[in-house]
This record gives sequence, structure tokens and C-alpha cells, in this order.
Amino acid sequence: MPLDAIPIVTATAAAGQSGNAPVLLREIAEMVRRLLKDGEMSAIDLQALPLTPADIDWLHERLGEGEIAVTLDADGESTLIETNCPGVWWVTHRNPNGAVVSEFIEVAYVPEIVKAHRDDVVIGLEHLELLISDLS
Amino acid sequence: MQGPVIEILARQGITRRTFVKYCATLASMMALPPSAGRAMAEAMASAPAASKRPSVIWLPFQECTGCTESITRSHSPTLEGLIFDVVSLDYQETLMAAAGHQAEEALHAAMKANEGKYLLIVDGSIPLGLDGAYSCIAGKSNLDTLKEVAKGAAAIVAMGSCAAFGGIPKAKPNPTGAVSVADVIKDKPIINIPGCPPIPVVITGVLAHYLTFGSLPELDKHRRPKAFYGETIHDRCYRRPFYDQGKFAKTFDDEGARNGWCLFELGCKGPVTYNACATTKWNGGTSWPVESGHGCLGCSEPDFWDAGGFYKALSMPANPLKMAAAAAAAGAVAGVAVSFANRGKKGAAKAAHETTTLADLEK
Repeated sequence: MPLDAIPIVTATAAAGQSGNAPVLLREIAEMVRRLLKDGEMSAIDLQALPLTPADIDWLHERLGEGEIAVTLDADGESTLIETNCPGVWWVTHRNPNGAVVSEFIEVAYVPEIVKAHRDDVVIGLEHLELLISDLS
Repeated sequence: MQGPVIEILARQGITRRTFVKYCATLASMMALPPSAGRAMAEAMASAPAASKRPSVIWLPFQECTGCTESITRSHSPTLEGLIFDVVSLDYQETLMAAAGHQAEEALHAAMKANEGKYLLIVDGSIPLGLDGAYSCIAGKSNLDTLKEVAKGAAAIVAMGSCAAFGGIPKAKPNPTGAVSVADVIKDKPIINIPGCPPIPVVITGVLAHYLTFGSLPELDKHRRPKAFYGETIHDRCYRRPFYDQGKFAKTFDDEGARNGWCLFELGCKGPVTYNACATTKWNGGTSWPVESGHGCLGCSEPDFWDAGGFYKALSMPANPLKMAAAAAAAGAVAGVAVSFANRGKKGAAKAAHETTTLADLEK
């Protein structure tokens, strides 16, 4: 059988969209208002919502990518990218094989995971003191 | 092995951020709100770790080793794997180096040393026919082995649909008289992790819960941990919006199938199946049946093999039709109610063997 006998159908741009993505923009706006008012951080678990891959693409395209991208190398690469709307972060956690394990939209001035934990800073200081004691 | 969990992890080269990331993913998997991930990380990080690695004994009965295949693919070098390093897996026929008398010795030594404290994992059903002669290990029937080992166990994990519900060996006409663990053992806490096979991270997640909190997680009426089996495949399916809009694939190669519409009419058992596939996915998060274009088989439900055809839309007999119609009329919001109604229908259909189409459902 010649290969061109197999019909190739190109999916239309809107194919696969459920219509659930646009409403998320309103929810994100509400979350940003709460951040401005009370400093409350919040997040949307993108895997918990009935969103098709096309919905996610649509949302990603609308929000865009802003000035800051944080890469976290912890048991696989994670990326925390600030969107075109400051304070709105697109967070993608991957496993060591590069597969996405969880995906969130986080609304925060800085995502919690980026900040160093106090206990870890204490350990860092101990290490610094060790380095200094080695100098003499 | 003492001190908070986070310090032990640190010694193994696991940073706090890795742990926070793991908890965020675990929370997502358990259908918890994102804020729960942070709370969980804090609680787990400061929880005192067990002073000794808890002993785990894994008994295989009438099974296909698919459950073992599944757990070994729990992305091996990651955190799940490390949490696994925290237990002492004292007997597992497929994974252990010992064989024959040596293996049996290891089993009895572990039972004796940890009496009343070990965690027993069972995969496979237990055949009762011919006094249990259908499946024997080391000259003993599975029934005798289970009773003997269960006696000193702190709790039992029935791994996979066979151990949890009887599974495929129990499918009609059940030639070996296969039953589940809970049919045999009545005096121990039993937790069912069904699935054919269960999702690897669900297995390790339940073990992690037991190790961290020293107790078993909250269970549903089928003794399944609510964290992972709390919602139906349908409720968390990314194709759910198409169901709500009435957009269905009618065959596996039509326009609807290409557009990724709902597979309900092609026999998807998602509405009556409680499992975490829609969020955790399979093969390290690569894909899952519905994403690959095939409906859910309902493998984590009791008697899924006899539930009336994988490619038939969820069936129902004539009588409960009115109940279903009422639920459907309440509209998309009543999705959960429909699921429950369908659940009843499936059971009734098994007896009556009447099939229905979507048109019947919406009458």
C-alpha cells in the first residue's frame, strides 16, 4: 500500500479545547487581588483541573513569559517562570527523566520554594565559619 | 537512624527543596489543595523518624508478578526509592537473592525478630479450592502461609486487585475458588491497594504514610486509601469537559476520537472507577489509558473483569432507569451523583446483563 493512501487529517487550532481555560484567567486575577490586599499566596494545581493539553497551551500563550525564570535542580529540573503578569508564576516540576510530575500556577511575590529555609541558612553559616577557620 | 526525617534525608543528599517539591507533587496526586503540600512538607520534615527500619514481608500468591513489576518502576533513583530504603524488605521472592530453604529461613527469622510489628504485603489471590492445592510455596498452601504470617503482622497491605478483591483468578467461573485477603483474615487491619497493577507511586505513597505517621491512612468502604482512591477517574479526567458538553467519540477513529472527546460511549468505566491514574499517570508521568485514546477498564474496582464488557457503555437494567434519568437531568453539576448512580447500575447490570446507550441514560 502506498503511504499516501493513509489520510492525514490536520487538527484545527481550536481542536481539543474544552472552554475551561478562559475562566481560569478570572480566578488568577482574583488571586492577584488577594496577594495585593493581604499578601496571601495561592496556587492552582493544573493537574487537578479538567484541562486538555490544548487548554494548557492556550493559557501558557496568553500569560506569556516575563523577565525572570528560576531553574531548580532538585531530583529533576523544575522551572519557575514569571509570566507577563508580575506575581504570577508558572511552576513546572519534572522528574530526573524530564517528565512533568506536577504543574502549578502560583501567585506570590516570590514562590516559597525559591526562598532559603532558615535552618538551611544556619547550616550555610556553619559552613562559612568552617571555611574561615581554614584560612588561619 | 534517629532524628527528624529531614535530617535523615539530608544525610542521603536529599535537600529540603527536593522534599518540598516531592510534597507538592504528592499533594497534587492525592487531590489535595496546593497549600496542603507545604503543610505536609513541614509536618513530615519535623516528624521523628523510626529508630529502626520497619520490617516488610511480601508474600506472592495467585498472581502474575505485575504488581512487583509496577513497584520496581517507581522511578528508581528518586525519593520514592529512597523512602523505600528506609524499610527493611525481608522477604520478596522476586527481588531477594536467596532462594529455596534460605529464603524460607529469612522469612521465619524476620517473623520471629519483628513479631507483632512487621508490615505484611500480599499480592495475588488465595485459592480455597481443593484445600488450597492450586497454589503452594515450599510445600504449603497459600492459605496456610497467609494465616501463619498474618498472625504476627501489625497490618496487612493487599497489593493489587487480586489480593484486594480476588481479581482475575476470581473471574467467573473462578476455577480455583480464589478469594481476597480480607475474605481470609478477619482480625488484622487490612488496607487494599487495588489496580491491575496499582500505580507505583500509590504503593510507595501508602508505605511513606505508614512510615511517617506510624498509622494507616484513612480508608473508604473498600478499604482503599481515600487520598488516592477518593475521586473517580471521570471526575479528574482532562476529557471531562467534553462529557459535560455531550461531545463523545463514537468509534476509535472518528472525528470525535481525533478531537480527544469523551470515551464514555466506547465503554470507558471512568465514572465508576476510583483511582489516581488521571493525575499520576503511568510510566513516570508519560501518559495514561484515556490520554492514549482508550477508555478506563475499571481495574481498581471489585470484579472488574465480570462487569459487562470493556467496550460497552456503562450498563443498567430497566428499573433504576428513573433514578439515573433524574441524576442526568440535574445536569453537569451532578456529575458525582451520576457517578454514584452509575455505580449502582453497574452492579445491577452484572446480574441482569442488559446494556444501555447514552441515549437511554439521558431519557
